[in-house]
Amino acid sequence: MMKAGAMIDEWYPVGLFSRLTETGNKTALMGEPIEVARAQDGSARVTSGNGRKLPVRVRYGHVWSSLGNPVKELFAIPEADQPGRRFVDVGVVRVRCSPLRAVENFLDIAHFPFVHTDILGAEPHTEVENYKVEIREDEDEVWATQVKFYQPQAAKSATGGITTEYMYRVPAPTCSVLYKTCPPRPGEWDVITLFVQPLAEDLCDVWPWMALFDDETPMTDLIHFQQMIFLQDRSILENQIPALLPLDPGMEIPTRADLTSVAYRRWLKRHNYTYGAQLVAQ
Amino acid sequence: MPSDTAGSWMPVALSADLPPATVMPAWTPAGSIALWRSQSGRASASSDRCPHRGMRLSHGFVRGEALSCIYHGWSYSPAGGCVRIPAHPDLVPPETIRVAVQTVEELDGVIWVAAGQPAAQPPRLGDLIPLRSLTAEAGIEEIEAVAGAKANADGLISVADYPWVRLLPTPQGDRTLVHVLIEQSRGIEDRVAASRIAEALRRRVEARQKEAA
Amino acid sequence: MKLYDYILSPSCYKIRLMAAILGIKLDIRPVDFHPGAEHREPELLALNPAGSIPILEDGDLVLTESSAILAYLAAGNAPEWLGTGTPEETARVQQWLSFSHRLTANLGGARLHEMLLRPGNIEILQAQGISALRELEASLFEQQLRGMRFLASNRATIADIACFPYVALAPDGGISLDPYPTIRLWLRAIRSIDGFIEMPGIHRLHELKPDPHPAKEER
Repeated sequence: MMKAGAMIDEWYPVGLFSRLTETGNKTALMGEPIEVARAQDGSARVTSGNGRKLPVRVRYGHVWSSLGNPVKELFAIPEADQPGRRFVDVGVVRVRCSPLRAVENFLDIAHFPFVHTDILGAEPHTEVENYKVEIREDEDEVWATQVKFYQPQAAKSATGGITTEYMYRVPAPTCSVLYKTCPPRPGEWDVITLFVQPLAEDLCDVWPWMALFDDETPMTDLIHFQQMIFLQDRSILENQIPALLPLDPGMEIPTRADLTSVAYRRWLKRHNYTYGAQLVAQ
Repeated sequence: MPSDTAGSWMPVALSADLPPATVMPAWTPAGSIALWRSQSGRASASSDRCPHRGMRLSHGFVRGEALSCIYHGWSYSPAGGCVRIPAHPDLVPPETIRVAVQTVEELDGVIWVAAGQPAAQPPRLGDLIPLRSLTAEAGIEEIEAVAGAKANADGLISVADYPWVRLLPTPQGDRTLVHVLIEQSRGIEDRVAASRIAEALRRRVEARQKEAA
Repeated sequence: MKLYDYILSPSCYKIRLMAAILGIKLDIRPVDFHPGAEHREPELLALNPAGSIPILEDGDLVLTESSAILAYLAAGNAPEWLGTGTPEETARVQQWLSFSHRLTANLGGARLHEMLLRPGNIEILQAQGISALRELEASLFEQQLRGMRFLASNRATIADIACFPYVALAPDGGISLDPYPTIRLWLRAIRSIDGFIEMPGIHRLHELKPDPHPAKEER
C-alpha cells in the first residue's frame, strides 16, 4: 500500500448499484479489504477492513469509493444526462493485469484488426492515420480527438462497415471514456466507458459502462457485445511483460499510432500515479 | 545438459511438435522464447516479448518467413529485426526495433537452443528417436532417483527395467521438461507403453517431490 | 431452432460452433447470465429447472445438456460427426463426452472463479484442471500413434467439439497450456476446420490468411 502514492485520494468503482445487497460484498482497493453494501435506507455504504466508513458516490450505475480523501468530485460525463440515452451496466470482469495496462489497452486502436477481428477492424485496413492528442490543462485530462478507423461492425446498431470516428478521454488514472460515432444518430456520440478497480498492482476488476442512443437493440445484446469486446482483450492483458506499466522510455517502443498511450504514461508520471506502474529508478 | 567450457545445448522441444508456420512457447536460462518455424521450415528462437507493448510473441502467428505479434501484428524476421508495423504499412521499421534471438540447431527430431557458444554440436541420438515431451513439477535429481540412474554425458537417463526407453531432461527453474526417447525399431504398442511408463514415472516423481516439500 | 445463449459461455459456444461448421442457422436468444443471473429467473427455470444454459428449442423439443444438443445437431444433419459407428468409436465418443463434463467443472469452475468472481476452491479446481489436461495430452498422443488426429477417430467428432472450448480457455482460469504440445496441435487442427468460428478469448488464426501488405525486406 506504500505504493499507492497520489492514487490513494482518487475515486474508484467498487460495485454495481443495482446489484447491491444488504449482506454486502467483500472486495478490495489497492490491497485493502473493503465491503460494499446497501444500507437500510437504500443508499450505498462502503467500509474498510477495520470498520472505517469510506466516502461514497453513486454515479453512472456504479458505487464509487476511495481509501483516501478525494479533493475533486468524481469526473463529469455530461452526455450521460442527455434525454433518450440508454444506460448499460455491462458487469464486472476480473483480469490479472495492472489497472493501468487495462486502461491503456482501451485507448489503443491499432490492435482492432488482430484482436477484434471482423468486428472493430479487419486486415487489410490496419493503417492508423494521424490524430490529435493533448493534455487539457484546465480539466487536467488526457484527450485524443479526430481518431478514425474503418470498422466492419462498429456497434450492435451498425448495419455494415463504416469509418468510425472516436474521441478518447482519461479523466482519472484508472478510468477512460470513449466517444464514438453513433450510427442511429449521426452528430451525436455513443459513450462507452471503462472504470477500473485496482485490487492489487497486478490484479483489477474492470467495470465497463455505456450511455447510448439505441432504442432498437435489446439490453442483453448490448451487454453481450461489450463483454465480447472486453473478453477479446483479456488474454492480451494477462500476457504482457512486465506486468507493471513502464512509465520510463526504453522498455517499450511506441509509434505515431500510440500517441494517446504516450500522453497517458506521461500524465501518470507527472501526477505520481504509479500504483500498477514501474519506473526505471526502482 | 550437454555442455563444454564455452557453452551448452538445451533440448527445448521436439521437431514434430513445431510444424511449419507455427509458434510455441519454450524456456531457456536466458529467458522465455517464442520458438517458431517459418513456412519454409526454418526454426528460430526469438525472445518471447514484443518490444512494442510487451506482449508474448508465443501467442502470435507465423506467415511466410516472419513471426507476428497477436496484439498489433508487428512482424519479425528470423534474424530478429522488425520487418512490418501494420499501423504504418508504408514505414520501413527502424533497425532499433528488434527482438533478441538465440542459436537453434535441429538434429534427429530434437530442437536445441544454445546457451553461450558451445564448441561442439548437440549430441546425436544414434538409434533413438524422440516420442513426446512432458513437464514434471520436480527437479532432475528426483527424476534420476525414481528412474534409477543418473544422466550420462549426453544428458540421457536410462529407465530401470525398460532399456529401450531413455529420458532427455532439461531443467526449467522448479520444473523439468522431459523428452521421452525410444529405440527406432520399436512398434506402436511399445511406443504407447513408453508414453505410459513416462506418465507413471512422473506420478512417482511428483509424489516424492510433494512428500519432501 | 432457438438457442438460449450466453456469449461468454463455453458450453453455449459448443453449440454455436457445431452449428457454424454444419451450416445450421440458429435463432439466438441471449440470456443475461452475468451480471443479470437471468438463467435463474422464472422464465428460464420453467424451461430448464436445472437453471443452466445452453437450452435448445426445436419445435416441441427442449434439450438442456450441451452433449445432447451436439448429438442432436449431428444426428439430424451430419451423422459422420458422431463417429463411424464402430463399437470402439462409439465408446470413445461417449468417453470423451463424459470427460467434457469434468472439464466444465474443473477448467470451467476455475475460469468462472478467476474471471467472473464465482465461488470455488481455486487451488483444487486448478489442480483438477491440470490432471485433466495431462490425461488429454497423453490420450491425444496415443491417438496420434494410432494414426488418428482427433479424440475418437481420424476426423473430428462431437467429442472434440465438446472438449475444445474449456481446454482452449483454460488460461482464463489461470491454467497455462504451455506444457501440452499435443493439445496445442489438436486445438490448431480444430481451429482450422472449415466454418470454424471463434468465441471471446479464442483468437482468429491469422496465419490462415496471407499477409495483405508483405514486408519489403528481410532484416
